[in-house]
Formats: sequence, C-alpha cells, structure tokens
Amino acid sequence: MSKILGIDLGTTNSCMAVMEGGTTKVIPNVEGGNTTPSIVVPDQNIVGVPAKRQQVVNPKNTIFSIKRLMGRKYSDPEVQKIKKNYPYEIVEGQNGLACVEIEGKTYTPQEVSAKILAKMKSDAETFLGQKITEAIITVPAYFNDSQRTATKEAGQIAGFEVKRIINEPTASSLAYGLDKKKNEKIVVYDLGGGTFDVSVLEIGDGVFEVKATNGDTYLGGDDFDQRVINYLLEEFKKENGIDLSSDRQAMQRLKDAAEKAKIELSSTMETEINIPFITADKSGPKHLDIKLSRSKLEQLVDDLIQKTISPIENALKDSGLSKNQIDEVVLVGGMTRMPKVNQIVKDFFGKEPNKSINPDEVVAVGAAIQGGVLAGDVKDVLLLDVTPLTLGIETLGGVSTPLINRNTTIPTQKSQVFSTAADNQTSVEINVLQGEREMASDNKSLGRFILDGIPPAPRGMPQVEVTFDIDANGILNVTAKDKASGKEQKITIQGGTGLSKEEVEKMVKESESHAEEDKKRKEEVEARNQADGLCYTAEKSLREAGDKIPADVKKEIEDKVKDIKDNLQTASAETLKQKTQELSLSMQKIGQYMYKQGEQGNSNEQKDPEDGNKDKKDEPVEGEVVE
Amino acid sequence: MKEVKDKKIEELEKCQKHIKHLEGKVKDLENNWKRALADYKNLEKRVLEDKEQLAFYIKKQTIEDILPFLDNLEKIGEHIKDKGLELTLKDFKQTLSFMGVEEIKALGKDFNSNEMEAVETGEGEKDKVLKVLSNGYLLNGKLLRPAKVVVGK
Repeated sequence: MSKILGIDLGTTNSCMAVMEGGTTKVIPNVEGGNTTPSIVVPDQNIVGVPAKRQQVVNPKNTIFSIKRLMGRKYSDPEVQKIKKNYPYEIVEGQNGLACVEIEGKTYTPQEVSAKILAKMKSDAETFLGQKITEAIITVPAYFNDSQRTATKEAGQIAGFEVKRIINEPTASSLAYGLDKKKNEKIVVYDLGGGTFDVSVLEIGDGVFEVKATNGDTYLGGDDFDQRVINYLLEEFKKENGIDLSSDRQAMQRLKDAAEKAKIELSSTMETEINIPFITADKSGPKHLDIKLSRSKLEQLVDDLIQKTISPIENALKDSGLSKNQIDEVVLVGGMTRMPKVNQIVKDFFGKEPNKSINPDEVVAVGAAIQGGVLAGDVKDVLLLDVTPLTLGIETLGGVSTPLINRNTTIPTQKSQVFSTAADNQTSVEINVLQGEREMASDNKSLGRFILDGIPPAPRGMPQVEVTFDIDANGILNVTAKDKASGKEQKITIQGGTGLSKEEVEKMVKESESHAEEDKKRKEEVEARNQADGLCYTAEKSLREAGDKIPADVKKEIEDKVKDIKDNLQTASAETLKQKTQELSLSMQKIGQYMYKQGEQGNSNEQKDPEDGNKDKKDEPVEGEVVE
Repeated sequence: MKEVKDKKIEELEKCQKHIKHLEGKVKDLENNWKRALADYKNLEKRVLEDKEQLAFYIKKQTIEDILPFLDNLEKIGEHIKDKGLELTLKDFKQTLSFMGVEEIKALGKDFNSNEMEAVETGEGEKDKVLKVLSNGYLLNGKLLRPAKVVVGK
C-alpha cells in the first residue's frame, strides 16, 4: 500500500506530510528541517538549504520564488516586475511563457519547481523507507488554470503521479477537520514568508467552495525582519555614529539576530539583542547591545499588520458576506505566531481563530489528509478500540489498584502478583473495578469472585497472580491463580466497557474533580496499611527474638505497637506516619541485640510463629506487589 | 437408497464448501495477524531509530545554542591576548571534540555549499574561501552548523 505525499509547494518554503496509521506526520528533509527553502540552482541540481547558502556567490544562477512565475506569460506585468528586481535572468520561452535562463540554457518554471519536488520525493523515500509515487500538491486559491496545469506538470517531471491539485486554504481547513462541519463559512488568513493571502470558503457536504480571495503578493515575514533590522541600524548609528548597512558581514549578523529577536518576542515581552564585536573603528571594537520590547516591535510593524485588514474586507465584500457571518477563522503561515497578528484577526472577526496546528506545516498536513482520503487509508486502517476507563482490583483498605490504564489499545493483557493481608488467609476475594477514582467504593464493581484453597502461610507470602485480559471485542477475562497450589478461578465480564460516551466522560470528570480528596484518602489508607504491616513485623520479630532482647526494649516496642493498633482506625495519616517512623526506629534495637548475641556465638534459630490460627476468610488482597 | 446417497453427497459438498470458506477465512486472519505483528516489529525499529535521532537532535540543538558563545570568546581572543582565555578556549574546544564536534576546515578550500554559507564575495581566487567569519562544525560527521565564509570571485 503506497502512501500519497501531501506537498505544500510554497513561494519561500515548501513542506511535506503523509498519513501514517491514521494520523498525519510531517516529513523532515535530509538536512533535518521540516521545511525546505524553495531555492534551486538548476544547472548544478542544488536544492534547499545548500542552495540558499551559496546564493551570495552565485546570484545569477540561484532561482528563488519560482512560484511567482508558474504558468505566467512573459508579457505579464507581474513577470516584468520580477524581472526588474530579481538577480536571475527571465526570458520568453515557448508560447510566450516566462522562463529562466542559466548559463545559456532555459528552464521552464515547471522544471525548476520539479527539482524542489524531486528533492522532497527523494527525502520522503529516505525517511519512509519506501517508494513514493503519488502526490497531492497545493496551490493558492487564486491560481488560474494555466498556473495549476504548470504545477501539475512540475509534479509529473519530478516523477509523481499527481493525484490532485488542491487549494492551500482548503488544505488548511481540512487539517482542522472543518470538512466535517455543515454549511459553514470559513476565512483562511495566510501570512507567510513573502506573501499574504486571504480566502473566504464555504463548506457544504464535505466540498469546499472558494467564494473569494484577496491578498498582497509582496507582504510577509521578511518585511517584518527588515523593520527590525532598520531599527537596529538606526539605534546603532545614534549611539556610535557608524552606519553598518554597507558592511555585509555585520548585516548578516544583524539579520540573524533580528529574526531571532522577532521569534523570541512571540513568547516573551522583552529581549536583548547582543552582537559583540560587530565592527571596529579607531577607538577599538564596537558592540551592539539593544533592548527590544514586544510593544516596540509591534509599533515597528504596525502598518504592515494593518495592511492585511483591507484585503480581508475586500474578500468579504466579494464573497457577499459580512464578518459576523463567518463561522471559522484559520491562521496559516509563520507570521501568525506573532501575538499582535493573532489579536488583530481575533478582534476583526470577534472570535478565536484556529491556530493549534503548526502554521508552517498546516497546509502540507491538510494535503496529506486529502491523500489519505483518496488512498482509502482512513477506511482501511483496522480501527482498534481503547478501554475508556481504568480497570483494576480492590486491595487492602479499599484502595483501587489499576491493572489496565484507560486509553490502552485493546486487545491487551496484563498480570500482576498480589499477596494476602493476614496470616493463614486461605482465600482472597477479587473485586474487579472500573473507573478513575483512587478508592474502590467510588468506582464501579464489574464483578467479584473468590479464590480459595491457598495453603496457610504468613501474610505476604502467598503469590496470587491476577491477570486481566481484554479481547478485541472488549470482553474482559480476569483470572486469579495461586502460584503455590496452582489453583485458579476466573470471571468473564461481557461488555464490561460498554458504557455510553456520556457515562465515560462523567466518570473521568468526576475523578478529576475528586483528585485531591481521593489522593488524601488513598494516602491515609496507605499510611494505615504501612503502620499495620510494621506492627505485624514488630510482633513477629519480638516473638522470634524471644528473650534475647532486654525487657525494657521489648516493652518499649510493645507499647508502641499497642499505641498504633489502638489508634489505627482513628488517627490521621500524618500521626500514623510519625508513629510508624518511631516504631521503626525502636525496632532497629532488636537487630542490634540480635547481632550482639550472634557475635557472642549464640545460635539464633527461628521459632515458628505461634499465633492463634485464625482462619481469616474473604479478606481483600493485600496491596503489596510481590513481583 | 439413491435418495439417501444423494442427500449425503449434497451434505458432503456443503461441508466441503464450508471448509473452503473457513480455510479462506483462516488464511485471511493469519495474513492480518502476521501483518499486525510485522507492523509492530517495524514500529519497534522505528521507535528505536526515532530515539537515536531524537538524542542526536537534542545534542545538536544544545551545542548549536552554545556555539555563539564560543564564537564570541574567539572574537575576544583576537582582541585581547590573554593566556587564561587561551587555555579556556582550548579546554572548551577539547570538550566539544570529546562530544563528537569537529571544526570544518574551510580557509583556502573550495567553497562547498553543503558545509559552508557564503556571506560575501571578495577579490581573490574564484570559488576559494578567502576568509572564515565564523567556524562551522560537524557533529558525529553530520553538519551541525555551516561555516560562514567570504568567497573569491
């Protein structure tokens, strides 16, 4: 089953993703980045980051923003504008279409784009370890037929069977699952590295219709960076009287620092830009040290952000909709991470935009989802269920001990070894519980059974293995087996997980709201169990030691044990913990005396415990894991 | 008699059909089961690879964040000749080298966009690195940060 690659072929950066096991995965390129710069040196076949690195050395042969030329006539005013501003050669090719010329050879925009796509194909194959032949490629909603055809051809040249060309805003909406809504009106606000697009879509029966598009093809993150750079240049000049703008090395460092500061200010209110030894004059080295606050940054780029408003208004006007008719707003493009941009969009529409998916990757993610739908991936995947609630058993003190946690994929099996809570306990009761609460009484009991015939033994000795097994149909089998006697008991719970969604949600919510008090109650029980356990050990040790320890030590321990036992049910967890600690300290004395005796050559055989053989029945299993 | 025989044959045929159906089903199920097992094995391998890669990227990210300080210390070293600073730098570089970080030798070499980033061009031999503005590094043989260089034209 081959996968269909979703590709966002962008003006400045491209990104790809694929459906895998029912979820989308963004595929990194071999350089390790999730996005690949759309930059190509066609004659040397250098694509992406390496192409960007050599741009300065080889400006005439380094092609960037080729998307702007896709499917356009040479005579197109847009092409003429690019020709004036870009360092590479643009010529008229076949049928009057715009082409680029490198070292006397002409390349169509399709061929150049194909080199980007071919690199992505090969990187995806490396990552996934399988051949990729099919792709979905996205284009701006405003692309006309010839631009779409050119994009499709680029995919074919790269060796893809292009299953579909889809609109970028449609892909973004798909990524947010908006295709499942009915008759909604969506605005996609896409502020990328070099272009700004706004689209108004209408969704009906899972099909998207583009009602209107608008934007500014020369507005993006690069303009924002430039504002920061200009500010830093001015500030530095004010302070040091030196103009750095003609110093390329300094400018390079400024550019890096400006971009870093811009990104940092999306999460912090203020950042410091430090560039030591940025330049030098007669007086010595000069350093750049400027503080930049978020509000200053917002001030610097305010008009750029405001420039995005009128395209939104125009797009709405063209679509015949008013802003309060819009149901969903989707943010796309790295610049939408800037809090101010988010705020402006939110204020304009009066609603919180969709922005949870990485805005650099959301288009590729949507394309991958479309690919998944076409491949039938979504249907083909064997949908495995999960247990909606935690399953476990009741242990000493009414504690609910989980064996299978909620959201575990089934079929699954889990075993744990438990023991008895009292001496000579010959049977244990297994109470099967479902729910998220800490105490057994707060959870739902699915069934209970008794395992008897356990050979009499001191508490904690027997090993009872409890196994939970849920099959693919959600039927739960609980087995308890005494390892010594091999005796086994089991219970089958049909549809034990057959709760309605509401019931499950209610139970989960309840557990969240009771989390604190539940934890406290569990702590109390645990403290009680621990205190009880230590009393038992203390008594046993005293019996075993016999008269090898002085009477006063024996009395001290006996008193402490009595004190704990008298208060076991009433004292707070804190008090019990403290008393347990004290008893534990006193008990160390037993060991001290025993060792002393041992050194003196006395044998210290163990006596059998001689306690009353109370045959305790149906005690809950002690919450002690032997394994 | 013949009727009974016919009935038996009919029954037998029915059984055979049923067996064939079941055989097909068993084959299907076995196939699916093997596929699931294989999926799981492959996932295990992927998880292991992902883990290794994650470890690499965490290390890479950490060292990348530290490198600017090394750059600055080196720049300070050019301005202030100090034995203590010199030793600190030497120590710093040695620690990096133990971590698998290797400096890219760029000066005087041919420009190579896989390991270097051209910041500027200058008068000099074409495509040769004339000056290194900041050192580039490899981590375990993979590119950590390209060297920023001036290239001849």
